[in-house]
Amino acid sequence: MILVTGGCFQGKTDYACNMFKIPKEEAADGALCPLEELYCTKLLYHFHEYIRRLTEAGQELSVERLKAENPGIILVTNELGCGVVPADKFDRDYREKTGRICCRIAKEAGEVHRVVCGLGTVIKHG
Amino acid sequence: MLILITGGSGSGKSEFAENLVLGLHTKPYLYIATMYPFDEECHQRIARHRNMRAEKQFDTLERYTGLKDADVSGYGTVLLECMSNLTANEMYQEGGAGDRCVEEIMAGIRRISGQCRHLVIVSNEIFSDGIDYDEETAQYQQYLGKINREAAKLADLAVEVVYSIPVIHKGSLEECGKAL
Repeated sequence: MILVTGGCFQGKTDYACNMFKIPKEEAADGALCPLEELYCTKLLYHFHEYIRRLTEAGQELSVERLKAENPGIILVTNELGCGVVPADKFDRDYREKTGRICCRIAKEAGEVHRVVCGLGTVIKHG
Repeated sequence: MLILITGGSGSGKSEFAENLVLGLHTKPYLYIATMYPFDEECHQRIARHRNMRAEKQFDTLERYTGLKDADVSGYGTVLLECMSNLTANEMYQEGGAGDRCVEEIMAGIRRISGQCRHLVIVSNEIFSDGIDYDEETAQYQQYLGKINREAAKLADLAVEVVYSIPVIHKGSLEECGKAL
C-alpha cells in the first residue's frame, strides 16, 4: 500500500498518477465510485470522501480486508484535522475517523508521500 | 531537553509523543492533562488517552490553567498535552490569563522545563483548513500560533506528526538520542 496525503488543491492526484504511471481514467474517485471499487482499483483518490460516504452509510473500513485483497493500492487523501474543532458532531467524528484510518494505513504502507504545491516528499520510505 | 510535537487532530501525535517519552528512558514520568471534561465527548477522549497510557507508568497531574504554578520537581520527563486545550482554558475559563495567555503559558513552559530533565509538549495544528472563523476563534488561532512559534524557538527538537509519520522541522531524532 502507498499513501499520498497533503492539503486540498495541492496536485496530489496528478502527482500520484504521474509518479506511479497510472492514467487518471483508470483510477477510482472515492467521492463517486461504488464502495467495492476500493478492493480492486490500483489507485483511489478522494479517499477522505470515501471515508465520509462509509461513515454516512454507518459502515466501518476494514484495513485488514484491504491489505488482504488489494495490497498494492495507492490511496490519495486530503490531510484533515488541521483546523479548529468543528462545531458539528458528524464533522468531528468524520475527521477523527479519517485520521485514525490514515494512521493505520500509513503504518501498513510501504511508502507515504506528502504533497505541497504539487511537490511530493516521501515521509516514509519502503 | 525541550521537545515540541505538533500535528492535526487524529494524526497520531499523542501516541508518537508517549512512545518518544518512553524512548527517553528518564523516569519518573508525569503526564500533565489539560483537557477540561466539559461533556461526554471529552470524557470519552480522556478515557481513550488514559487507556493508551495504561501500563506506561505515568503519574497524572490535571492542570487546566496556571501552568507556571505547577510543581513538577522530582520528575525525569514531563509530557504536557495539549497546548490547544491549555490555551483555550486560559482564554475562556474563569481565573484564566485571558489576553495574557501567551506570556503566562511561555512562563510556565520555562519554569517547568527547568524543573525536570525533559519536557515534551504536544500542540495542535489548527491553522490550515481554509475556513474563516469568527474574531474570537481567529484570536485563539493567533495565540496558539504564537505559542507554537515561541516554544519551537526554545525546543531542541520540533516534530510534526502526519498520520503517525514524524516530519522533523528542527533538530533530529538521532541527535536527541545521542544527547541523552
